Amino acid sequence: MITLEDVSKRYPNGTYALRDIDLHIGAGDFVFIVGSSGAGKSTLNRLLIREELPTTGRVAVDGQDVARLSRSKVPLLRRKVGIVFQDFKLLPTKTVHENVAFALIVTGHDGRTVREETDRALALVGLLPRRHHFPRELSGGEQQRTAIARALVMRPKILVADEPTGNLDPVTTWEIIKLLIRVNEIGTTVLVATHNAEIVNALRRRVVHLDHGRVIRDEREGLYAA
Amino acid sequence: MTRVLYVLTAAWHGISRNPFMTAASTLTVALMLLLFAFFVVTDRGLQSAVALLESKVELTVYLADDAKVSRVLELKSRIEKDPAVSRVDYVSKEDALERFKRLSAGRAEIGPIEDIGVNPLPASLEIKLAQAQDSRRIADELRDEVGNGVIAKTDDVIDNPQVVDQLLTITRVLSIGGLAILAMMLFVALFVIVNTIRIAVHARRDEIEIMQLVGATDGLVAAPFVLEGMLVGVFGAVISLLALLVASGPVTSTLIQFLDILPVTLGPNFFGQLAAGVLGFALLMGAGGATISIRTHLAK
Repeated sequence: MITLEDVSKRYPNGTYALRDIDLHIGAGDFVFIVGSSGAGKSTLNRLLIREELPTTGRVAVDGQDVARLSRSKVPLLRRKVGIVFQDFKLLPTKTVHENVAFALIVTGHDGRTVREETDRALALVGLLPRRHHFPRELSGGEQQRTAIARALVMRPKILVADEPTGNLDPVTTWEIIKLLIRVNEIGTTVLVATHNAEIVNALRRRVVHLDHGRVIRDEREGLYAA
Repeated sequence: MTRVLYVLTAAWHGISRNPFMTAASTLTVALMLLLFAFFVVTDRGLQSAVALLESKVELTVYLADDAKVSRVLELKSRIEKDPAVSRVDYVSKEDALERFKRLSAGRAEIGPIEDIGVNPLPASLEIKLAQAQDSRRIADELRDEVGNGVIAKTDDVIDNPQVVDQLLTITRVLSIGGLAILAMMLFVALFVIVNTIRIAVHARRDEIEIMQLVGATDGLVAAPFVLEGMLVGVFGAVISLLALLVASGPVTSTLIQFLDILPVTLGPNFFGQLAAGVLGFALLMGAGGATISIRTHLAK
């Protein structure tokens, strides 16, 4: 599903965000990307949705070379790769329902699909009862669930979560992680960038450890630290 | 359908969320368009005045008394073939004398011409020009004919180089000056629209970011802003056209009085054309300015 071959990303000031990365993530995988701040986790995520291009090497998502996509094809890539962030990125003037429906509306779906798919996604994250609330009326966990619903409503093949629990308390963190596991179980490839050692150690899933832009460890049932 | 609805509501929100900025830019655009319309009217009036003056430019060639009729006719038909010439009239010695008598009638200081006994006036060709700027060329060509038995000396070819030059200078200054003013106005109006839309883009940057993340096309991201720019243009056009309508009555009558000596005509459909021009100009400016703003943002 995701293949990185010999990928490096160097910024104009000369520093490397990623260096000589070889990584393969199969369809249906659940992968933790771990490492301290600045290790290159977010850069890796941005390469997958072509928010940035690799300096050298090849990034392929669902069989497509991301760097070779024309600008007009980038939206199609992004419909395949859902992404959620630490700061949720919800629109404060829209309700939960409107925030989720927004993704379908601006990608040109008809009114009936918008209603049905929005309800399905909200049911999946357990937010149907809160659908008419505004983000400021929700807890942090509920806001992140709204963001996850907005990503899932497009039925993406891949869900990328960039520090999804960074702003949440431990109980809510588990809520979100359980939700991400459920999303994975229904067939979505899930990448979680985190530096929360507790959840990584408890779940024993595949762990890719980045340090100063290099993969220093890639284990099937890994722990946060070697 | 949902997309159309989205574009419409998003454009409307852009305008209604920032009414002060929208009003300010609409008024600026309206003012620019009013200037534009004023310039078009003035330019059209002056152009038609200049065209009228140009049509009055003519050359006169005095013919030698002993010129053969066949040679004169041959010269006349050769001049008529020149594309810059609209008409050539032959004035015989008798015609010239008649004309002189009519002019001098009742003017005692000139006295009766019969006293001279012979007709001193030469026959002539009067050449009306379609293109005044060719006056000098034709005059030069005719002077080359001197000594061939039709034209006696170079002074017999009469043109008015100063008048022609002055007319041409006026026309040139008008069109260059007009273009410069138009370009300047276009720049100012575009600048205002670009900045209005840039503020709207900035206010909705989070929405744009999310649209791009979920895979909305650039076209759909841009559409509400382009529509907003066009609406600002249309509002401006409507205001300026209303102002023009109110002012057109008194202004036209003043203008006609002022230009009384020159029968300036603007044409029956002129105001319809002007309204269409102003509206088209406004739409183009609105869409263009908005596209510049949103494209700059998306390219970041």
